[in-house]
Order: sequence, then C-alpha cells, then structure tokens
Amino acid sequence: MATLALTAPPPRLDARGLIWTLVRTDFKVRYHRTWLGFLWALLKPISLLLVLLTVFSSVFPGAPNFRLNLVLSLFLWDFFAESTKSGVISLHQKGYLITKTRLPRWIVVVTSISNPLITLGVYSVLAILCVAGRPPSLGGVLLFGVYLVHLCAIVIGISLAASVLFLRWRDVNQIWEVITSAGFFITPIVFPIGVLPERYHFLLYCWPPTPIIMFSRAALIDGAPATLRAHLCLAAMAFGILGAGILLYRRHAPRIAEHL
Amino acid sequence: MNAIEAEGVTKAFEIPHASRRTVRGALLGYFRPLPRERLQVLDGVSLEVRQGEALGIMGRNGCGKSTLLKILSGIYAADAGAVRVRTHVTPVLELGVGWNPELDAVDNILLLGTVMGLSLAEARAAVDRVLDFAELSRFANLELKHYSSGMASRLAYAVAFLSVRETLILDEIFAVGDAGFRARCEEHFRKLRAAGHTVVLVSHTADYVERFCDRALLIEGGKVAREGGGAEVARAYLELTRPAAP
Repeated sequence: MATLALTAPPPRLDARGLIWTLVRTDFKVRYHRTWLGFLWALLKPISLLLVLLTVFSSVFPGAPNFRLNLVLSLFLWDFFAESTKSGVISLHQKGYLITKTRLPRWIVVVTSISNPLITLGVYSVLAILCVAGRPPSLGGVLLFGVYLVHLCAIVIGISLAASVLFLRWRDVNQIWEVITSAGFFITPIVFPIGVLPERYHFLLYCWPPTPIIMFSRAALIDGAPATLRAHLCLAAMAFGILGAGILLYRRHAPRIAEHL
Repeated sequence: MNAIEAEGVTKAFEIPHASRRTVRGALLGYFRPLPRERLQVLDGVSLEVRQGEALGIMGRNGCGKSTLLKILSGIYAADAGAVRVRTHVTPVLELGVGWNPELDAVDNILLLGTVMGLSLAEARAAVDRVLDFAELSRFANLELKHYSSGMASRLAYAVAFLSVRETLILDEIFAVGDAGFRARCEEHFRKLRAAGHTVVLVSHTADYVERFCDRALLIEGGKVAREGGGAEVARAYLELTRPAAP
C-alpha cells in the first residue's frame, strides 16, 4: 500500500501552560542551588564587556559613543549567540520527552531560548537606562522593541532549522559555534563599521546580527533611525530566515523521534 | 465507532553498518555509500479498536509492539499504510518520562501533567489528589533525586492515570509498587474502563491481557499472527514463548 496517512485530532493542549511550565522548569534547574543564581547569566557578558571596554577604548579613542555602542551591541550579540547555541541542541536535550509523548516539538525549540531571552530583557532595561543621560525618544525605544522581535524571529528560524539538522549530523553544533565565533569579529561590536571600506558594508549587513545591532544603535543612541527601505530589508531578512527555518523543520519533523 | 483504525501499517529502519552522523560523514557518503541493514519492524499490520474497548497486544521482544504504539500515538510516522485515530490519545509509554530529579514532586507533577496534555490549571488543581493517590503527601517538597525508585514510580503512575483523555495507550507499565499499590492501580484502571475509556495495552503478562482486555493481537515478525479474545491470545503467546524441550 503506497498511501500514508495519520489523521488524529490535534492534542488537546494548553500551549501557554506548557510553555510556561517548560520555561519555569529550565530557569529553576539552570540556576538551582548556584551561589549567585540568575546573576551568573548576567556576569558573563558583563565581564566580557569590561575587558573589551578596557582594551578597545584605547584602540578607538575618537569613536563617538564607543562605550554605549559596545554595551548595547554586546548584549544583543550575547542573546543571539546563547539562544542559537541552546536552540541547536534543544530537540536532542529533550529527546526523553519527544520519543515518549505527543508533545508539539516546536514548543521545545522555542522555549529553549527562554533563558537568554530573560537575560536580554534585563539587559535591555539596563541598556536603555545607560543611555538615560541622553534620554532616547519614545519612538527610539519602540523601534528597539521592533528590532528585538526581528532578532527573535531570526533566532527561532535558525534554531528550528539547526535543531533538526543536529539530529541527523551531530557536528552541526560545532559548526555553528565556529560560525558564531567568527561572526563575533565580523559584526561591528568592538570596532566602528566606518573603519572598513564602504564596499564591504553590504557583506557585513548580510550577517543577521549586524543590521539589528546597527539599527538599534541608530534608534537608541544616535537618535537617527534607519531608512524605511533599510527596515523593509531587515524585515525581509528576519522573516525570510524564520520562514526558511519553519520549512526545513516541517520537512524533517515527522522523523524527529527516529533520529533521537 | 472505531476509536483507532490502522490498515497495512509498515515500518522499517535503515541501520548503517557504521555510524556517519556528521556533516563530513554525510559528504563522504555521497562518494562511498555505506552498506545498510534494513530492519523490517512492521509489515502490513491492520487493526481496529472500537470506542470503549480494551485491546491487548502481545509478542516477543523486538516483534514491533512498541513501534506500533508509537505510530498509533503519532510519535513515529509509518512508511506506508493508513492510521486513523478519532479520539484524543494519552500515550503512557514509559513511567516518569520527563521527570527532573532536581525539582520537587509538586514541580514535577506540573511539568509532567502539562507535557501529558493537562492544562496548567488542571495540573495545579490535581497536585493534592496525585500526592494522595501516590501516598507521598509528606514528601511533596522533597527533590525527586531523594525518592526511592518505588516512590518515583508511584508518583509517575498517579500523574499518568490522572492525565488520561479518551484513549489510553499503555506500554508494559503495570508492575509498579507493592501489592497494595498495584491493587489500587488495577482498581483505577477498571474505573477508567467503566467510564468508557478506550485502551490499547501492550504487555508480556498474560494475566493482565486475560483480565483487562476484550480482544488481543499477537504480533510475530512484524505481522499480526493471531487475533482473538484476551485469554485465547494470552495462551498463544505463552505457547510461542515456551522454551523448546531439550
């Protein structure tokens, strides 16, 4: 028989309750009985920030708003790197659930970014307070919120695709780590983008964290938001990555349990 | 009405002779493909489970029972054939799946309850009943890593039975706890049956299939080798697994 069909009523599911429980569980387990608890998550990028501030402030002494730019960029980068790292291995880590229950698997991938998202939330408030000396406009803060939504779309798209690929090829996480390590240095975090010839800027903007970071700086710190065309390009990139991630995930989803 | 129908369900796993689960291995595989073993686990299995009926499935280890349950539960996809499930299914394929040993019983009840399909409000409302059924109210705030295996199993049983929707799919999970707890579980199982729940039960224990199932299937070599009443199939299973005379 060549037909293949599985028709079942969708699981009667309280998705919000399930997401809340998974997020709460991950948070509790991660910081359970650690000396500093949630502060550990904040300390890692702060320590990196202090080192980079000390070293690169003297390398680029004339760069305008160098410190503020570094604070904002580093926190956005930390979210991108940490959440995609968790997302890649998320299905594998929750394999004990996926092979035994009818849990919707996409929820596992999406909730894997919860801890970095909580950290980003705390840092976003700190970043906005940091620029409070020159208060950002309400429009700037709202635009920043829009960029965070785009960043989440990018992260979820990458995580959905990479999590199913990781089940087939177990070195995908290492490849992704190499990409993010190199990506840190091609994203204009520690250097002003102006130090590179303008003909290379387009290439830098093709790496998703670059437009997010540059547009956030422009909205919150410089008070000069990017153009409408630039925003449309960012939206196309973010939701293109999300769409591609969903397509790849859906293609591999029926065999997820078999690859675990 | 049938709660579950399966028609000609086929499932095979391709097992390579050596593992190449890396990007490099996949690229190499284009040029030097590895020989693969094809393991035909299910070969044209058809079954029907009427609403409110209990169907037992028996068979030797490796005959495809668990794979069939996973296909009926929507966890695996069949290679060919058709599966129609018309009711909400609660698969209990392993007790305590998803437990987190670092969390206490209350947190684990909320976690497992929502994973098995309860709403958060239902799971919260059920905490006391679960602890009571498992006789673990005194240890509600104790982390699970400090529980004995018997205590953890009792808790898992209580959550599993509480989360049952219309159809319950059970994979060999009856041998839990002491005689008193087993008797209470069996009593609860009877109540579920009396309430009209449909059950698919995999077991190696002939006694359970005889007592709890209206009908049963014997699977052998990925095919349905026998179908009949619970007692009849249980006898056939015992016959099949009886050691050959020296």
